[in-house]
Amino acid sequence: MSGVQPGMIGAQPGMSDPLLVLDNVAKNYGAIEALKGISFSIGRGEVVALLGDNGAGKSTLVKIIAGGLEPTSGRMLFEGREFLARSPAEAKAAGIETVYQDLSLCTNVDVVANFFMGREITRKVLGVPVLDERAMEQVVQKALASAGTRIPSLRTNVEHLSGGQRQAIELNRFVHFGGKLVLLDEPFAALGVEQTRRGLDMIRQVASQGIGVVIITHIMQQAFQVADRIVVIRQGVVAGDIARNKTSPDAVINMITGETLAGAGPAG
Amino acid sequence: MNPRTRQILEFVLDNLVWFMLVFVLVVFSTFVPNYFQLGIFANIIEASSVLGVMSIGLALVIIAGHMDLSVESVAALSAMAVGILFCSSGIGLGIQLNPQWLMVPVSLLIAVVVGGIIGASNGYLVVRLKMSAFIITLASYIWVRGLVLVISGGRSAQDLAPAIRWFGIQRLLGLPLTAWIAIACFVVFSLIMARTPFGRHLVMIGGNETATFRAGIRVNRNLVIAFMLAGAIAGLAGWLLTIRTSGATANLGVGLLFNAFAAVVIGGVSLKGGVGTLPGVYAGVLLLSAINTAINLMGLPANFTQVIHGLLVLAAVLLDAFKQTIRQRLA
Repeated sequence: MSGVQPGMIGAQPGMSDPLLVLDNVAKNYGAIEALKGISFSIGRGEVVALLGDNGAGKSTLVKIIAGGLEPTSGRMLFEGREFLARSPAEAKAAGIETVYQDLSLCTNVDVVANFFMGREITRKVLGVPVLDERAMEQVVQKALASAGTRIPSLRTNVEHLSGGQRQAIELNRFVHFGGKLVLLDEPFAALGVEQTRRGLDMIRQVASQGIGVVIITHIMQQAFQVADRIVVIRQGVVAGDIARNKTSPDAVINMITGETLAGAGPAG
Repeated sequence: MNPRTRQILEFVLDNLVWFMLVFVLVVFSTFVPNYFQLGIFANIIEASSVLGVMSIGLALVIIAGHMDLSVESVAALSAMAVGILFCSSGIGLGIQLNPQWLMVPVSLLIAVVVGGIIGASNGYLVVRLKMSAFIITLASYIWVRGLVLVISGGRSAQDLAPAIRWFGIQRLLGLPLTAWIAIACFVVFSLIMARTPFGRHLVMIGGNETATFRAGIRVNRNLVIAFMLAGAIAGLAGWLLTIRTSGATANLGVGLLFNAFAAVVIGGVSLKGGVGTLPGVYAGVLLLSAINTAINLMGLPANFTQVIHGLLVLAAVLLDAFKQTIRQRLA
């Protein structure tokens, strides 16, 4: 637990300036250790697939990075500086976007309102900020069109949309707002084959702009399709950290289930 | 179904309570003698001003996914504060300010601040203790009314200073200024809810609080402000109540809470949060007032009003469920 390779931090060759470094991040719920000490790093423009069995601690880790859950111990460095997001607002301000597993949409308002949730475009009328609906609608229209997502009316409430359309809104949201680091927690759970392919393209496209991407997935094939590096979490520790082209799905499955331990190591 | 019919249907569903109001007015005008008069319609608007203002605050908090049972007691406390300070007989201290008109902003400020403080404390407790707003504001409903009894000693204040009374007497286009204040409140708060980020955020918090938190919206801050506004608006309702009765009694406004709830629900606000608009609430208030007036004119005993209000709330809830099914079919 403690003493898990702190020396490795930021030591990956070719990653002289990692975007985010996790140094021995742990989270306890009372006596239960959800995360026993996680250390790995993400570079700019790098896509990291975070794999692990149910209950391995992936979603806990995402919540810690995205703000909303404070780690019990350990530290994080974001762009070389000590970083701790006490709320999602702080993480967002630092440039970290998150797409959660359970959809984070307000179904009682329309597509435009959801797209701009928390960062509405406003103009001042007598000093009072007023929503600029037309400007927002244009942006959403453009963003969805360029991603090839079809939603009949941007003014329909999200409750009337299908699961795939809802997920498309979230995915397009992070592509549009970008930031510096994107966390995706099982983003394709409700998508069809074609939409998933488009989603994976989106991720590569985002990464090519120099944005770091962490994608959590259960589907080995997706991880191998999109990731540069694969990090496996097992029982709250990093059980493997390896470049995609240096491993195989079978090896990764062994890391997930625990048949090989850290032997596959962060050698990269 | 072609898009045009669909659009019309959506419009009707969104504004159902207004159609109900018009329907009720037409029916009463036809069948109740003497109902169809400008004076009667003015009276309907006038009689609904206190309830209307109080309903705005209640609706804000309910739309944000919470609840405020304390608005009635808060209005009574603000009314009593203004009554004690500016009434000249009973327990009134009869404070005079020079010039006279200065009493208007001062009394209004006192009423709104008293309400705002209690509202903010409600909000703070709900957000900090993460307890159900129902329980927190139920406690306020009880202790604030208790406070009214304590500071008044169960007695009343009469003869409000004429400078303040002026608002209840002076008329503009046939309506007393108090009614215009209520209308202005509805316009202002409708705009806030529909056109500003704050209003949009309240609606979204009512719809999915987790999502708004994750999106970086400062949920707690927004909620405390909503509770504070509800309290402040209830204080304003109390101020109007003092003007209307030219004084304050210890049991002033008892029962208004349930009428406010009725108006809010009839107006299309869902108690689950996230759904409803303030113009709808105003229509709900007017609908209740229109029915009260009809009952008065027909000479029915006033006790009937309560039965009818209760049935109306039931009807509103049923109607809401019915609207949901239609909408689902539209989608």
